[in-house]
Amino acid sequence: MTITLSGICKTFGDFTAVHPLDLTIPEGSFFALLGASGCGKTTTLRMLAGLEEPTGGTILLGDDDITHLPPHKRPVNTVFQNYALFPHLDIAENVAFGLRRRGVKSVRAQVAEMLDLVQLGGMARRKPRQLSGGQQQRVALARALINRPRVLLLDEPLGALDLKLRRQMQLELKRIQTEVGITFVHVTHDQEEAMTMADSVAVMYRGRVEQLGPPAELYENPRSTFVANFLGTSNLFEAEILSHLSALGPSAEAAGEGEEPVESGTSIVFEAPEGAETPADAGAAEAPEGASAEEAPGETRVQVAGADVTLRLPTSRCAVEGAESVEKGTKILVGVRPEKIALLHPDEADAVPATDNQLTGRIKDAGYLGVSWQYLVETPACSDLTVYEQNVERDTRLTAGADVVLHWRPAHTFALDATQDAAAGEEIL
Amino acid sequence: MTALAPLAGTSETPSAPQGGAGSDDGAGPGAGPGGGGRRRLTPYWLLLPAGLWLAVFFVAPLFYQASTSVQSGSLEEGFRVTWRFSNYSDALAAYGEHFLRSFGYAATATALCLAIGYPLAYMIAFRAGRWRNLVLVMVIAPFFTSFLIRTLAWKTILSDGGPVVGALSSLHVLDLTSRLGLTGDERLLATPLAVVCGLTYNFLPFMILPLYSSLERIDTSLHEAARDLYATPATTFRKVTFPLSLPGVVAGTLLTFIPASGDYINAQLLGSPNEQMVGNAIQKQFLNVLDYPTAAAMSFLLMALILIMVSAYMRKAGTEELV
Amino acid sequence: MPTSTASPAPEPTDHASAPRTAALSATGSATASPWPASSRSLGALLRRLRRNAVVMAGCAALAYLLLPNLVVLLFSFNKPAGRFNYAWQTFSTDAWTDPCGVANLCGSLGLSLRIAVLATLLATAFGTVAAFALARYRFRGKSATNALIFLPMAMPEVVMAASLGTLFLNMRIEFGFWTILIAHVMFCLSFVVVAVKARVMSMDPRLEEAARDLYAGPFQTFWRVTLPLAAPGIAAGAMLSFALSFDDFIITQFNAGPSTVTFPMFVWGAAQRGVPVQVNVIGSAMFVLAVAIVLGGQIVASRRKKS
Repeated sequence: MTITLSGICKTFGDFTAVHPLDLTIPEGSFFALLGASGCGKTTTLRMLAGLEEPTGGTILLGDDDITHLPPHKRPVNTVFQNYALFPHLDIAENVAFGLRRRGVKSVRAQVAEMLDLVQLGGMARRKPRQLSGGQQQRVALARALINRPRVLLLDEPLGALDLKLRRQMQLELKRIQTEVGITFVHVTHDQEEAMTMADSVAVMYRGRVEQLGPPAELYENPRSTFVANFLGTSNLFEAEILSHLSALGPSAEAAGEGEEPVESGTSIVFEAPEGAETPADAGAAEAPEGASAEEAPGETRVQVAGADVTLRLPTSRCAVEGAESVEKGTKILVGVRPEKIALLHPDEADAVPATDNQLTGRIKDAGYLGVSWQYLVETPACSDLTVYEQNVERDTRLTAGADVVLHWRPAHTFALDATQDAAAGEEIL
Repeated sequence: MTALAPLAGTSETPSAPQGGAGSDDGAGPGAGPGGGGRRRLTPYWLLLPAGLWLAVFFVAPLFYQASTSVQSGSLEEGFRVTWRFSNYSDALAAYGEHFLRSFGYAATATALCLAIGYPLAYMIAFRAGRWRNLVLVMVIAPFFTSFLIRTLAWKTILSDGGPVVGALSSLHVLDLTSRLGLTGDERLLATPLAVVCGLTYNFLPFMILPLYSSLERIDTSLHEAARDLYATPATTFRKVTFPLSLPGVVAGTLLTFIPASGDYINAQLLGSPNEQMVGNAIQKQFLNVLDYPTAAAMSFLLMALILIMVSAYMRKAGTEELV
Repeated sequence: MPTSTASPAPEPTDHASAPRTAALSATGSATASPWPASSRSLGALLRRLRRNAVVMAGCAALAYLLLPNLVVLLFSFNKPAGRFNYAWQTFSTDAWTDPCGVANLCGSLGLSLRIAVLATLLATAFGTVAAFALARYRFRGKSATNALIFLPMAMPEVVMAASLGTLFLNMRIEFGFWTILIAHVMFCLSFVVVAVKARVMSMDPRLEEAARDLYAGPFQTFWRVTLPLAAPGIAAGAMLSFALSFDDFIITQFNAGPSTVTFPMFVWGAAQRGVPVQVNVIGSAMFVLAVAIVLGGQIVASRRKKS
């Protein structure tokens, strides 16, 4: 059943929990609402469940308007945060609750079958408090699924479990969803959980959907600083547009190699705003650090703030209002994910491809994380640039205090509107 | 922000709120059953029986009593409101000693309850282990026998020539206490000590239970943290345990002091006419002398004095908690 | 150790094995300690005393609480010489074999039970719905209502007794069964409200949401989830009401008629004229019965937990 929210909103007194929201959740999808606490994701879910009356807007389930249907009349079931198992009923009665309320006479076989599905066959006569967290979670799931709802809502269903169990349950949930083929709507604050499980993710922030799409799209191509920081980590630094060219044709260099979500487009070159006066003819690439002076179509050049460094990126990766026609000198935020950056000792700087973006810096700190090394690099662009390097063949010269050359492909660079808070979504756990 | 594929993003155009069925929902989430516009009245309907009962049989009588306390007249001729405030001064003149004695005995009993009850509550909370429930049952168990019967048992325990009197007199304790006017020379019954002992006994569970419930809530790792931070057991108690148990201390002292100051059973059964409390006086005026205005005036006075003392105490306890 | 006052030079093992060492020296085994065995065992004893001072004080308090019950039980087997049962004479089970042998005793017990049951039913019903209103709704006058509920618990019984008695007198209502019942419901109400309200407030609202989500309508949600979850609070309030009503004396004395003698009033009257042994029998029987029920329940509960 496709769920269609149109203009749905909710206010509590003066506080707007959810701003008017349009959202379509396709049938059979695993859809995640992701955000920090208080972003409106749970309120949205509760409106879907019927536990919260929307202040405005409509909710369609298929073609039926369920906006004002009470919860017990909706073909929708919920796995509650902390499970909300009835403490006075045993496991079997908890699972049978929904069937009994709908007047189903013989529930035995169904309950047994459902308990087997969640591997709790022998627990039917236990009380909820005698079960572990993971078992309680599975009871909550069985209690909802046994009703064969058309949509299953999950409110932070794994929040109370420890890390290992959470991983296990993530896979389990995904398996069950594929098996039963019901639409799952999953609310979580854990970006990893959302990315592993969901087909599409809506990132919510302050009562609005900040960005929506498949997890890879959100990660590779964030359209706001909140998304860039909340999903994984991003290095963001200020820059100023030097020149920018509309796509004149496919450019092998600018467009990433195939699997990049970004197709060829325009690219913008940026330059640091407060940096030394922008060269008079900035349009003509005065690439200072030996970067390729050639401009490819669909490429934008920027100059990094406070540094005489020019970077390039595909224009299509500029999430700036009217990126195509943006003026020279416009301030923007340039971003690159830490794992996309490669570190080289200055002696090997020659190995950097001429088309790559390049920075020099000095390592402030090198931390060992097992699978990778995490470096903090002081660069002219950003005093705390984070870099992850696979823990494979580490150059032993890359220790704290060492000078390094950083480089990455223009296609891995993205740009965001500079009017937003560069730190949005960062400090939130 | 550009729309992404068929999955639309946010719409910035606010749609007009429609179907405001929930907008007049003043009860908030989880308001329970009931619905529609009548929900606003639901709490009043639910409160009606209990509220009416208390209004008619608790609040109204207090006003009646206030008016009775300024009446004059006699049983034969009937009583009439004559704003006779001298009922109050007369009662105080006649029974001032009773008031003093009531509050003195009640305060002593409260202090004794705290001294006796605190170790027991502490033991149940921290040292009883698997015996905890059993000991709690033993604290509540005495309630199952009528308190009048149990108070009468003290007459046996403290009886003249009984084992307690014998032991105390051979230890020369009675010599000392009788010189202080607390007991007789060779007897405990019909002395202030017996009355205070009975009051302490009767209200001890009311001290222990709130103390226990506030002690039980204390995380034992706080004790360990205090010990780890160089506190001796005594300092741990003074600086951590006791301050955290203050709500229980306040509740327990109030639950002991208030009923004890209005009690007349212990004074009647264990004391002599010299140990009579306000309760005895009110009871006598109301049930024997049938001087209702005086009984009402004393009862009103007792209530007022207790309210004043309690509010002063709670204010002080409140500031102590902050220090 | 701050407690090593009695043995100024403790050897390393002294603290841990003090009782054993003391036992050894008592049997004559040679020990290396230069200190006399008695002073060392005294030190150990003092330490143990200090460590267990709280437990001992607690047990003493417990003895103080339970002593009268034991005396009541003991004297239920007495055969007193006169009318008063205060001094031990000879062992007898006469009273146990004939508990209703005293005029009006069992009648007063029946009256007390009738009043307690009715007062409990009314107070529990009224108090429970009021508690739901206070726990679940926001409304004008809520804090005033809370104060009204609290006040009867913060007032000496004799004040309530005298004022209610004054009302009945002024209204020329005849004192008797109904006046006692009204008074008992009045002072039990607050206790029920407090017990039920605490329970309802601590209930997870998500449980009711889960019920509604699982196709339970408003009535079914209340009947299947809310009420069972609130039941322990309601039961606690009801039990408290019963105990308070059954055992009440002061308010009853001010509001009873000449022919309505409750059990506490019977005991009071007996205390003036002479206490029959049967009073002890009934007090002890109730005590033993109640303790047996509570302990039995505890044992059943702990067994169930183990299995």
